[in-house]
Amino acid sequence: MVSRLLELLIAYEEDSNVKLVIVKGKGRAFCAGGDVPAVVRDCSKGDWRSGANYFQKEYLLNYMATYCKPQVSILNGIVMGVGAGASIHGRFRVATENSVFAMPETGLGVFPDVGASYFLSRLQGFFGEYVGLTGARLDGAEMLVCGLATHFVPQQRLSLLEEALHKLDSSDPAIVSATIDKYSQQPYLKEQSAYHRLDLIDRCFSLRTVEDILSALEREALNKNDDWISTTIKSLKQASPTSLKVSLRSIRQGRLQGVGQCLVREYRMVCHILRGKVSRDFIEGYRAILLDKDKNPKWEPSKLELVSEDMVDSFFSMLDGEDWEDLKFPARSNLPVSATAKL
Amino acid sequence: MEQVTRRTQVLRNHLLLQSTPPGLLSPNHCVNYSPPDVAEPLSFNPTDMRILLDAHNIPDRDWLFGLFTQSHLFNPLPRGAKVFVLPDYNQPMEQQREVTMERIWYMLEKGVYEGWLTDTSPEAQMRRFALLEVIGIYDHSLAIKLGVHFFLWGGAIQFFGTKSHHDKWLTDTENYTIKGCFAMSELGHGSNVRGIETVTTYDSNSGEFVINTPCESAQKYWIGGAAKHATHTIVFSQLKINGKNQGVHAFITQIRDADGNVCPNIRIADCGHKIGLNGVDNGRIWFNNVRIPRENLLNSVADVSPDGQYLSAIKDPDQRFAAFLAPLTTGRVNIAIAAIYSSKTSLAIAIRYSLTRRAFSVTPNGPEVLLLDYPSHQRRLLPLLAKTYAMSFAGNDLKKIYVKRTPESNKIIHVVSSAYKATFTWHNMRTLQECREACGGQGLKTENRVGHLKSEYDVQSTFEGDNNILMQQVSKALFSEYVATKKRNKPFKGLGLEHMNKPCPVIPSQLTSSNVRCSEFQVNAFCLRERDLLHRFATEVSKYQAQGQSKEYAFLLSYQLAEDLGRAFSERIILQTFIEAEATVPSGPLKDILSLMRSMYALICLEEDAAFLRYGYLTTDNAAVVRKEVTKVCSELRPHALALVNSFGIPDAFLSPIAFNWIDANAWSSVHH
Repeated sequence: MVSRLLELLIAYEEDSNVKLVIVKGKGRAFCAGGDVPAVVRDCSKGDWRSGANYFQKEYLLNYMATYCKPQVSILNGIVMGVGAGASIHGRFRVATENSVFAMPETGLGVFPDVGASYFLSRLQGFFGEYVGLTGARLDGAEMLVCGLATHFVPQQRLSLLEEALHKLDSSDPAIVSATIDKYSQQPYLKEQSAYHRLDLIDRCFSLRTVEDILSALEREALNKNDDWISTTIKSLKQASPTSLKVSLRSIRQGRLQGVGQCLVREYRMVCHILRGKVSRDFIEGYRAILLDKDKNPKWEPSKLELVSEDMVDSFFSMLDGEDWEDLKFPARSNLPVSATAKL
Repeated sequence: MEQVTRRTQVLRNHLLLQSTPPGLLSPNHCVNYSPPDVAEPLSFNPTDMRILLDAHNIPDRDWLFGLFTQSHLFNPLPRGAKVFVLPDYNQPMEQQREVTMERIWYMLEKGVYEGWLTDTSPEAQMRRFALLEVIGIYDHSLAIKLGVHFFLWGGAIQFFGTKSHHDKWLTDTENYTIKGCFAMSELGHGSNVRGIETVTTYDSNSGEFVINTPCESAQKYWIGGAAKHATHTIVFSQLKINGKNQGVHAFITQIRDADGNVCPNIRIADCGHKIGLNGVDNGRIWFNNVRIPRENLLNSVADVSPDGQYLSAIKDPDQRFAAFLAPLTTGRVNIAIAAIYSSKTSLAIAIRYSLTRRAFSVTPNGPEVLLLDYPSHQRRLLPLLAKTYAMSFAGNDLKKIYVKRTPESNKIIHVVSSAYKATFTWHNMRTLQECREACGGQGLKTENRVGHLKSEYDVQSTFEGDNNILMQQVSKALFSEYVATKKRNKPFKGLGLEHMNKPCPVIPSQLTSSNVRCSEFQVNAFCLRERDLLHRFATEVSKYQAQGQSKEYAFLLSYQLAEDLGRAFSERIILQTFIEAEATVPSGPLKDILSLMRSMYALICLEEDAAFLRYGYLTTDNAAVVRKEVTKVCSELRPHALALVNSFGIPDAFLSPIAFNWIDANAWSSVHH
């Protein structure tokens, strides 16, 4: 799918008849994630390189982030993992009452990639750390409020919206935006929304280490009887300790880097994960959550204190030998000034 | 009629605050902004170079940068499509001081200062350095205010105090239960600490010290934190016991109560508005029979018994004073490092700007040329970039030796930190001026950061020891070492002077483009200069002494050689640490570029120091080869300029609009109506 999407996008960029690109899913998901089983199979056989055809994925994402023509993603359903990557970097993201966004990677023994270190870190305050570390789910209203979505259109108006976009003969983002605006609606944030707890989130998720964040949440739990706090603590405790530390550093570094740098860095990190020399949590996460479904992963190391700075460092370093190279994006000529990442 | 319609339309647009209708401004002939990141391919990964330059605690730095960008307290500035964070220097002094204090509370809440005083491990000290460096990149006032509290007040407790002082004060300092400052300088005495006039006596009946300001010139001056916020201070004062002046000692004194009211018998006035650093509330203090308990004497070097006997393990007052001041090295290290980060910021801004700004064509009707494509512009900025890289490695080396210090290494740390403080801060002021000029008119806008940094960092050449005094101290230390070594008739050991034991280095008679880039030649040239100048200096001082002058007076008269020698020593050590850093990198693009930068550093020093020609270390022909090579290396560095400044790891938000799309940033649509 990824290589096909890339092919199409490249073709559409050249084709002057194409004014804008609409991306949508089928059924109850926009896209729930990558083909993890295939990757795990390869890695278990010691063949991490075919899994590392991730380079194509990164090229795709970079293309989307710097695409000249507006991309409108209709997020009418589950948007997770690669699905987020394939839409959030685009110019327009249309959420609906069916949207469910999440980056659940830490629970699976990996980390939020697909340029998530770029887009999560740019959310308000330290909301990005919260979403990336806990794998919290956001609905359409929350996506709009935090900026992951640019518009909210109720499902029943989607077909009308698409018709209008089809009739539009323009690549001007202002015009596209105005068109989507016509079908948009202001949704209401649910009372239990995490977005009502931004102060608490900022207080806790701004702290320096994962241990500090967890301690702060536990202190808050003592003062208040709040389900949200206990759910958040639970998500952190169930996640892979290595994944948590790696993800936290990735998001914070990503906050200070452009989308290209983020993708280059994430590619390094993903290669380390697939190679499995530092940690096998990725295999264990797949087994416990997706294969055997016992939801009882045995992470190694099992505790935050046992994950050293050196271990975390190793995910960010270049891979030694084996004729491995840093990701290099092909030069894009004639990029207009507006072709910068959209968040 | 058409004209009326058009005019009505224009007026309507004005009234409705609409943007100019398209078509009135034809875009075709307009200057376009093209991001340098698109046009300039990167020959190496700046992330990897950053790891070499920052050297330690990179995730902690990124965390702290994030704390600043994600909070409104740090004054986010949206300009065009980007958001910068920059203190509002247009605010009145009072507000700048208040918001600086608020930022300190914010960081306290986030645990930024954890372990800064209570954890003395090398790891904690390195993290502390890293966090302070990030704070300095954001705002020098913020770094100074913290520096005064933690490193001057806190450092005094740590190094001049003993266990009882540590137990009583360090934790309260770390969590800001009290706010400390450091009352050393007076109106009449700054660099010459030994001459201060505040006087303290002991009352054995009440077991108290009594502090007094005997005359106006003795008032404490420039005391950071004292004008508004500080509750406690370290008072430096002459100590008179039983009619004898035992010299300068340090005493803990409370100056404000918990409600912020000034304590009795203490008067405080404001130093007033400064040319920069108005986030720091500098105050003046007078003491009028201020009584403090005997325990408040910081007694690691000397003590007073309850019945008023002066006790010290070090009998010689000069040695005692030296032991006393040795701990102030932390300040000098911090200042030297801060100077380099300031240079990095200004170079990143100026070089990025010069990669997008064009001026003049060299062909008729041709496109205007990018600033950094002019050899003269390269010559103005790239050598400063190389020096900054060199000093960055030298600074990291100093931090390493400092956190692992031993009594034996104290002397070299003292001399090197003094040399680096002077060298780096002077380099910074020069770099800031050049970068301001290189940014043209835009360099004058405060929000473009580069120009304003001059007024913020100017103080660095004065505080913690005037630079000229420090360099003189360096040359005096080298002189002492020289004389003592010759007397003992032993080989040179220490201060890096071991090269003097080898035969005098030989400079090739004919310098060429290739041998001039060889590190062996470069080290030889620097060692030759230092060796010869040390010899000349020692000879001249001895000559004056032989004529009957005191050693002090002889030093005074030989100031020119002292200056040359101080510079020679400093540059030689910096070159050596650069070469060592280069050696740790495996072969590849990173090592190649470092090698080129190291040659740039060596060559520019050879070109700029008149001593090479004056004393004949280089012939005029060789000097001409060096000069030509400088231009050549500049052109070879030009394609790497962007990657070299991106390697500083300074996030976009901490640069300024002219480092990015300065056309968008200035567009009418960005103007707030």
